[in-house]
Amino acid sequence: MTDVYYFTEMPFAEFPESEAEKYPSMRLTFPNSYFDPGKAHDLFKRYLDEYQYAEEMGFDGLMINEHHNTPSCMDVEVNISGGILARITQKAKILMLGNMLPTSDNPVRLAEEIAMLDVISGGRIVSGFVRGIGIESWANNTNPIHNRERFEECHDLIIKSWTTPGPFRWEGKHYQYRAVNPWMLPLQKPHPPVWVPGTGSPETVEWAARNRYTYAAFLTPLDVAKNLFQRYREYAAEDGWEPGPEKFAYMICSHVNETEAKAQEAGKAFLWRMNYPLRGPREYWSPPGYTSRAGASATAARRPTPLNELSYQELQERYHLVVGDPDSVTEQLLHIKNELGVGSLLLEAQGGQLSHEDTMRSIELFGKEVIPALKD
Amino acid sequence: MVTEFTEKIVEVGGNKVQILTGGSGDPLVLFHGAGGNSGWLRYVQALADQYTVYLPSHPGYNKSERPEWLETIADMASFYTWFLEEQGLEGARAIGFSMGGWIASEVAVSCRHAFSKLMLVDPVGIKPQRGEITDIFIISPAQINELLFHDPTQAPEYDQLYSQPPTPEQAETAETNREMAVRLCWKPYMYDPRLPGLLSRVNIPSRIVWGREDRLVPVECAELFHQALPKSDVVIIDQCGHSPQVEKPDEFVRVALEFLA
Repeated sequence: MTDVYYFTEMPFAEFPESEAEKYPSMRLTFPNSYFDPGKAHDLFKRYLDEYQYAEEMGFDGLMINEHHNTPSCMDVEVNISGGILARITQKAKILMLGNMLPTSDNPVRLAEEIAMLDVISGGRIVSGFVRGIGIESWANNTNPIHNRERFEECHDLIIKSWTTPGPFRWEGKHYQYRAVNPWMLPLQKPHPPVWVPGTGSPETVEWAARNRYTYAAFLTPLDVAKNLFQRYREYAAEDGWEPGPEKFAYMICSHVNETEAKAQEAGKAFLWRMNYPLRGPREYWSPPGYTSRAGASATAARRPTPLNELSYQELQERYHLVVGDPDSVTEQLLHIKNELGVGSLLLEAQGGQLSHEDTMRSIELFGKEVIPALKD
Repeated sequence: MVTEFTEKIVEVGGNKVQILTGGSGDPLVLFHGAGGNSGWLRYVQALADQYTVYLPSHPGYNKSERPEWLETIADMASFYTWFLEEQGLEGARAIGFSMGGWIASEVAVSCRHAFSKLMLVDPVGIKPQRGEITDIFIISPAQINELLFHDPTQAPEYDQLYSQPPTPEQAETAETNREMAVRLCWKPYMYDPRLPGLLSRVNIPSRIVWGREDRLVPVECAELFHQALPKSDVVIIDQCGHSPQVEKPDEFVRVALEFLA
């Protein structure tokens, strides 16, 4: 059984690409004078309509994420977009991937918000926890040295607040509370499923495995993802259990259209997303202390070509971007699923400048042709 | 002038601290900046001709261990009061460079008999009123080096320091040092709002030295330190960037020896 998720970062691509070329990065310091709230209003309406249509056409889940200081992602708070989806959809899972734990100063409030979403949505929340890319340490001004410590302590406190009857005290290194006793508790017991994304950090794989959480590989080459999943299985074996496919997810960009030619033409819209938002100085992406030495050497060892240096053709050959007619896309996604043994495919099916019309066509074809074939 | 120093590892409060020492005469303790201990440079040797110079690597820097509790500049100052006591250096003269100036200031604030004289060279620690302290964490080491000097050609050791690509060991040390600086100085960035108030009770002779063309820490801060430190004077070095001791070592040493005497 494969669950298929629909995802968009809700980009704001409403300015000439030549403007993006003028700055070292489209993140963090790209001037927000390019933002237009009126256009953003229209875009939010459009993107939320597309999410509703994705549910209607048969996607099992709707994935949302959060970033700051970037036109590549207008969603600045997954618990807001999650709240909207909780109310405008009926049955799809809502995968929030996710709440940035290290940059939060109030884990109990996060626990309350996620619990409230779970209650309102009728138990449809999948609670992703993320460290946040390096840029978020700058945007939120949280010391990158403490990123992993805060991630783990924030997580521990959220889980405890969901599973241990209050009130209790919390005296941690980074968080302290007199009376943890949130009235709002999740509907799913013991708590909503927890997912963790990763792009290669060895500590994250181990942490996910030790906690038996679903590990989602984001835009990693197939062999790298395979390797990460294998490590997960090894940690699980050490702890005496065997993970099923539901513990593994894989995120890629994808577009389907009636014909191969139409798909290839429209799919070029994803090049905006693969290019500008991924550019930037090393210090933006990896502030000192954000990546452990183990993580840094893991990155150095696999030396993947940065996505923004790959051609349209190469992006497709490496399955970062799966584009085609329904048969071709089905075949490629089945290949990925079988290679990796994943239980969930996370499809960024709207990206960059992909138009509403092409997005809706793609959602329709996924629902009518691709998803049923994947489930056979 | 003989370049001679010894490197040793001492234990302070159960933590290993690396120290370079050399010279003869009264003790003089040097506090290095955020980039780490750059070693026995020309200016250090010139000072060692008059004083017994102690150049420790701060906990967490170079070969010195970081006690797990040490997270802030104030923690660092507490650690240094142990260091001075255990090494028999209380009452020594001291010079602090950049972030080391902030550390030395905090030591002087927390222990009245720590130093007999205090010299601060382009120190951080006080928030500028008009400009901003350059964020060295968000730019690359190469960009930092470019901003460090007003005119690198007048720094006699520039090639020795920067022309060779670092060995893997040096690169590793540089990364460790950069992470330690982030740990200590991330937020508020490179200052402590309580420092001016605390410095008002430091009544040992003190001198503030600044490169007029400092592009990392605005020269206006010289006046702010001067206002905060009751017995201070100010020497501004013209045509000079953030590190007068490297960019204009002879002039720097003259200014230092005149004050320390």
